[in-house]
Order: sequence, then structure tokens, then C-alpha cells
Amino acid sequence: MLGLQLAIAGVATGSVYALIALGIVLIYKCSGVVNFAQGAYAMLGAYISYFMLRLHLPAVVAVLAAMAIMAVIGAATERLILRRMLKAQIVSVMMVTLGLLIFFRALCLAVWGPDQIAFPQIFPAGSIDFAGVYITYNYVAAFALATTLSVAFLCFYQFTAIGLMQRCTADNTRAALAIGIHVSNQISIAWAASAALAGLGGALLATLGGLSLTISDIGLVAFPVIVVGGLDSLVGALIAGFLLGVLEAFTEGMLTPALETVLRKFTSIDSVGALQQVIPYALLVLMLLLRPQGIFGRRGVERV
Amino acid sequence: MTLEVRDLSIRFGGVAAVTNMSLDVNAREIVGLIGPNGAGKTTFINCIAGVAQPDTGAASWNGRAILGLSPADLLRLGVARTFQSVVSLHDLTVLDLVKLGAAAHARRGRGFLSQFFGSDKAVDEEICESLLAPLNLVDVANSPIQTLSYGQRKSVDLARALACEPQLLYLDEPVAGLTFQEGLNMGAVIRSVRDRFGCSVVMVEHKMDVVMSTCDRIVVMAHGARIFEGTPAETQKDAEVRRVYLGDA
Repeated sequence: MLGLQLAIAGVATGSVYALIALGIVLIYKCSGVVNFAQGAYAMLGAYISYFMLRLHLPAVVAVLAAMAIMAVIGAATERLILRRMLKAQIVSVMMVTLGLLIFFRALCLAVWGPDQIAFPQIFPAGSIDFAGVYITYNYVAAFALATTLSVAFLCFYQFTAIGLMQRCTADNTRAALAIGIHVSNQISIAWAASAALAGLGGALLATLGGLSLTISDIGLVAFPVIVVGGLDSLVGALIAGFLLGVLEAFTEGMLTPALETVLRKFTSIDSVGALQQVIPYALLVLMLLLRPQGIFGRRGVERV
Repeated sequence: MTLEVRDLSIRFGGVAAVTNMSLDVNAREIVGLIGPNGAGKTTFINCIAGVAQPDTGAASWNGRAILGLSPADLLRLGVARTFQSVVSLHDLTVLDLVKLGAAAHARRGRGFLSQFFGSDKAVDEEICESLLAPLNLVDVANSPIQTLSYGQRKSVDLARALACEPQLLYLDEPVAGLTFQEGLNMGAVIRSVRDRFGCSVVMVEHKMDVVMSTCDRIVVMAHGARIFEGTPAETQKDAEVRRVYLGDA
């Protein structure tokens, strides 16, 4: 039963990882920027949702409003900052997104303070009985919302006119420009969509574990996710998100206790610490060594 | 519905690629732009297609100045083009690319929001029937572009440009790389396109047989400037053209 419990918890957090990783892949595909500020978007989305909920708006309205604000912030980041760096070196661009992460953290720290805040209950309290395992509605709702939105987004990307222009821009920016696609608008749309997705992800994380600045750390966990899935594969991000969520849950719930039991028996070591935080990065290193393009990514192709 | 280009010049460093080039294209006219390699034909097209920025000169389409506009802006004015080298895209299918042309055009008419929702089966079928069928592309409609032959990709590029419902169409070497028969077919397709859309066409091309049978008027370029202009028959007779283009006999 413990296994099932862990799998469910893992799938729920994994679905949120997937949502946030999706945004990183989207931005990378479209504009070639590796966005380290994605975690900050999640955190900001959570705090703005909290702010909206405190205004006694209905939860749906509050979260949708937060996503809309995040979309504006995402597009503004691109228009005001990244667009000016089109010719800059890749390292400078990365540094700027890292700087944005720090800036947004400091902003939230200044406005809402360093302490963890209890996030208002937006899903009904209680739990459902699933094959003898109790799952709280929080987890069910987080999983359902994150997965629905991820899949809805993939459909949008695959089947609509804007999605088609997004794919073309991602595929070959110069070609897209030449055949008359307004590329800079497409890049803004990618940033807006990706910040909105991350904003929802952040709000969902807050319902699961409370609201604090540490939500922005998810941006760093999302990197192992996209390296495993493939930096240019949206589907890969989705699947790897679930994979890492489950892996983390099992590490925390089974591997760590088992390891500690063994260690206590034979050594004086008492605890192995938060091993689940190590796993994603161990996987990242392994992946980069064995299959740098990720499970679903395309091997770097020279485009002439 | 006329294109007017006046005294257009562009230099790349010390090389004068195009010098004082003027060109008029009337409504429903197919103008062939020919000349030896390096004559500046593609550069000239790039200048009036929003890809290169000429140093001096003016160009207008229906009285509107078009120099400095982006390809996206030009599409909205009804100006579309095809490319000499085929667009390289990995993931998109034939239908996708042609729909992109249609979508770029749709911005003029349809609402912005409608682009966020669903794909329209009816639109797909209409594209297949009206654009892909004449170019023999229906069978490959759902194949990735990368899997097609060079000739087919040329056709896809043309279908993409036609989906924009252009009023002025630039064709950059539409026949290059095609077999003799494919080339003649393409010539026929270009004429039928003009008849159906009522658009003006400027085509850069090397294959003389196709140019002669397709174009209403021919402009010959050499060393970045215009050296001759006339009907296909006149062009074939002109001594200067024969010297520059075909070499001294």
C-alpha cells in the first residue's frame, strides 16, 4: 500500500513539474533562451493567487486572474529585457534570466516577507478512498488540473493556427520570418503562455505544501526534467515530469528509510538527509553522459 | 494594381549587386526576370520582398511604399513569394506549411481570437482540393516536408505562397532543379495561377524554354542593371541579350 501511496503523491507533484518544465521547453524551442526564471514565475504566480484569494474572489477567478497577470509579466519580460539581448552571448542571456530569478525572489520577500504562509484552502477538504489508500482532494485536484492544462496546451500547440505558427517559429526562425510569420509576436506568446502555465503550477504547489519563497526552487528541479525529457520536446517534458515526481516520492518514502536502516546497523551514520533532492540531479548527470539529447529530444542538427 | 520600382540600388561592401534598377509590373502580368548568374536577380527580389534593405531607390505596390516593410507586412498587402532554396523545416507536414500561408493571410480577415481555437477540417479539405491537387501534392499532404523530393518541395513552397491569396507573387527560380517535364508543368501551373487569382507575377528563372512559354514580358539583367526589356520573341532576337546571356556565338 505504501507503494501506491507514494506513486500517487509522486504523480501529483510530477504533474506540476511537467507543467513548469513545459514552459521552459516552450521558451527554449521558440526563442532559444534557457529560462532560469521559470521557478520565479511559479513562485510569483502562487503569491499573486494568494493576493487575489485574500480579496475574497472565488478561487477559479483568483487563479485565472493570477494566470492572466503572469502572462502579462512573461510577455513583458521578453519584450522589455530578452528582446534587447537578441545578439548577446548565450551566457549573458542565461545570467540575465538568473538575475530575474533573484530579482523576483527579492520582490516577493519584500512584499510578503520570508515566512511560510498558509495558502487558503481552494479545493474541498477531505480525501477519497482509492484501493485502500486515502488521497486528499488537494492531490487529486492538483494532478487533474496540471495534467488537463498540460494536455490542453499540447493540443493547442498541435492543432490551432497560433500553435502552427509557434511550431514553425520553433522549427526554423529564419524560415518563419521569411514566409511572413510575425516571429517576435510568436516569441512573446510563448513567454506569456509559459509564465501563465508556471503561475498555475506555483499556485498548485502552494495548495500542496504552503506558500513560501522556496517554491521558486522548482525551477531548478525542472531542469533535470527537461534534460531527461529532451530540451526541445514538449511531450518529453510531460513524461519526464511524471517520472521524476514518482522517483522522488519513492526515494523519500522507500529508498531513504531502507538506506538509513542499513546504515544504522553497520555504521554510526544516522541519516542520509534529503536524498530525494539528489536523485533528479544524479539522473541529470547520468542522462547528459549517456544520451545528451534526452529521451525524446532530437540530436543537435546543423541547420543550414 | 501595379508594382513600380525606381532606381533601386544595393551594395554589399565594394560589390554593387544591383544598380539603378527599375521595374514596372502591371495587373495580371507575368514578368520574367532573367540574366546570367550573379546578375543580381535574387538580390533585387529580396529588396522588394522585405528581406534586404536597398541603399537607394523607391518601390510601391498599388501606390503604397513597400521598401522597409517586413515579409509579414507585405503579406498583409497581398505580396507573397517563393524561395530559390527550399525552406528547411523538420517537423511540419505539407498541409501544415500551406496552412501557415493561409493563417498569415487570415490575419487580415478573421478575428485574432479565432486563431487560438481548433483546426477546421473544412479548411484542410479546401486547401487540399484547391491548392494541393493542381500541384499533385494531395498524396503527400500529411508527410513531413523533409521526406519530399526537391521538385515536390518547390511545389509545396508555391502552394504555401498561393495560400496567402497573393495579388503580387514573386517566384525565385520556381523551375530550377526540376526535370524538363516538371518544369513545363510548373510553367503551366504559374499561368493558371495568374488566371485564377488574377495576380501579377514576377519570376526569376534560368530555364529559357519555361520563361519564354510562361512570361508576358521579359526583363534581362546583367551586372546588377537592366539591359533589355521586351516580349519573349523580341528577347530571343536581341543581339545584346544573346551576347550577355548565351555567350558569343
